[in-house]
Amino acid sequence: MVMRYVVLYALLGLCALFFLGPIAWFAALALRPQETAFSTPPVFLFRPQLDAFRYTFLDPGTNAPQLRNSLVVSLGATLANLPFALPAAYALSRFALRGKRSIMLWYMSLIVAPPVVYLIPYFIFMTRLHLRGTYLSMILLMLTITVPISVWLLRSFIDEVPVELEEAARVDGAGTWAVWRYVTLPLCAPGLVVTSMFAFVFAWNNAVFPLVLSTQETATLPIGTLAYFATAGVTWNYIAAAAVAAMLPPMLIFLALGRYLVRGLTFGALKG
Amino acid sequence: MSCQVRGAPRRALPLLLLLPSMLLLAALVIYPTLFTVRNAFYYWNLQTSPRPLMFVGWENFRYVLSSTPFFPALRNTLVIATAGTVVELLLGLGVALLLLTHLPGTRLLRTLLIMPVAVAPIVVGFLFRYMYYEQGGLIPWFLTLLRLPVPPEGLLGSARTALPSVLLADVWQWTPFFALVLYTGLLGISQELVDAARVDGARGGQLVWHIYLPMVWPSAAIVCMIRFMQLFNLFDLVLVLTRGGPGTATYTLAYLLYQEGLVNYNIGTASAMTLIIVALVLLLLNIYARYAFRRWEW
Repeated sequence: MVMRYVVLYALLGLCALFFLGPIAWFAALALRPQETAFSTPPVFLFRPQLDAFRYTFLDPGTNAPQLRNSLVVSLGATLANLPFALPAAYALSRFALRGKRSIMLWYMSLIVAPPVVYLIPYFIFMTRLHLRGTYLSMILLMLTITVPISVWLLRSFIDEVPVELEEAARVDGAGTWAVWRYVTLPLCAPGLVVTSMFAFVFAWNNAVFPLVLSTQETATLPIGTLAYFATAGVTWNYIAAAAVAAMLPPMLIFLALGRYLVRGLTFGALKG
Repeated sequence: MSCQVRGAPRRALPLLLLLPSMLLLAALVIYPTLFTVRNAFYYWNLQTSPRPLMFVGWENFRYVLSSTPFFPALRNTLVIATAGTVVELLLGLGVALLLLTHLPGTRLLRTLLIMPVAVAPIVVGFLFRYMYYEQGGLIPWFLTLLRLPVPPEGLLGSARTALPSVLLADVWQWTPFFALVLYTGLLGISQELVDAARVDGARGGQLVWHIYLPMVWPSAAIVCMIRFMQLFNLFDLVLVLTRGGPGTATYTLAYLLYQEGLVNYNIGTASAMTLIIVALVLLLLNIYARYAFRRWEW
């Protein structure tokens, strides 16, 4: 019996080490003295310092504008997607539509489409319109992902609002708009928040569109970090500091999402 | 669960609600579609001309299939997608069963385990490129410690180890996703069913194979589908870790397309390649949707 616990805890420890170790190791890279970055054997104990963070975000703050760019693009892609996704999700949840299955699968096909196939046409298109490098060009392309994801995810939340409540309000004389505004919307508000959080994370973590559409001024954080590889003598401490800043927001959001994670990551296909 | 609404304006309402998103997406998709279909039949290199140069018929398709590493890339993509999905499913099931013991500490682990999924794939690339570094990287050091051979050109530089190394980064990131989904599914299995199977003499592996796996399969199938399609599009990791090399060892279809269109600027051949890839994706999605969403209530 004791043996069983020893084995189980050894496996659990191995699990924690394998899945969390790399993140901790990279965070340590951002904090360690530069000369210990590639020592053999690896240096596990060192006095942590904030030099890399100071360099990347304060002085000269190479990556600070990129943090802002990431925020603008992700928030833009999140806020712009809701007015499109919410009505569609409501329609797909509440009405018997002909071809509903095909419509839902069409949205799904956009979710799983390879993003690279949009890139070449839009690279040329946006260049011709002199829009390449603008936030607008990136936000527009991000919508090809966030809108279909939000439609699927929001639909799963609206499905859970009992239709009986809407009917009761209608019997009491409320019109379509009033039912929607005072019954359905408040009840699916948490779903709206969860969906927005996921849309934000998917936009924040998308590097394919900014890779081609951004310029040096509008580069998002991961793309800005990629630029370090082009310089001679790759400075890994700076890469790690910028990457840690890029990792933190989605991690905090995932911690806050808790039981909604399964649902969000499967685009509402599984309720979790 | 449709509302009881009557009259023509009411019947138009759902369509009106769907219209904005469908119009937006159609507008965003139609342009690249027309662009791609047209240019697939033209010779056009963006470096030499801002416009398509001449009509070449099916020549671009012939070029893609014969003069680019299309087939190695297709093979790599299918290997990555299949092996990745299977390994992540099995490892995820193992982790889920471990979490299901509900020993003290598993709650905390369950919360933290999802962290890799939150990391942007391109940042996962940074993480693993650092850990794979030939001199002073954590992984080669660890392998040497275990007296395992490490290729002198590095794990990412050797044709034999490059693809598995890229795959490992993806397995690291997405196994927790499977674990979480399967754990949630396993929670729903009634203890009576498990006890009954135990009474009938089922043990360990048998229990997993005959009770656990069939019970969670409907949700696992959907996750497998999503993951297979995402792996089919694998791009960020390749960009950061190997750039397709050494040789063509880690080219994926998505990376090959990027290379052809946005590095070599061969718009015509890249368009032809796009059409082939989109056809493959739609074919796979149709097979999958038929299977994974079979019992789905639309």
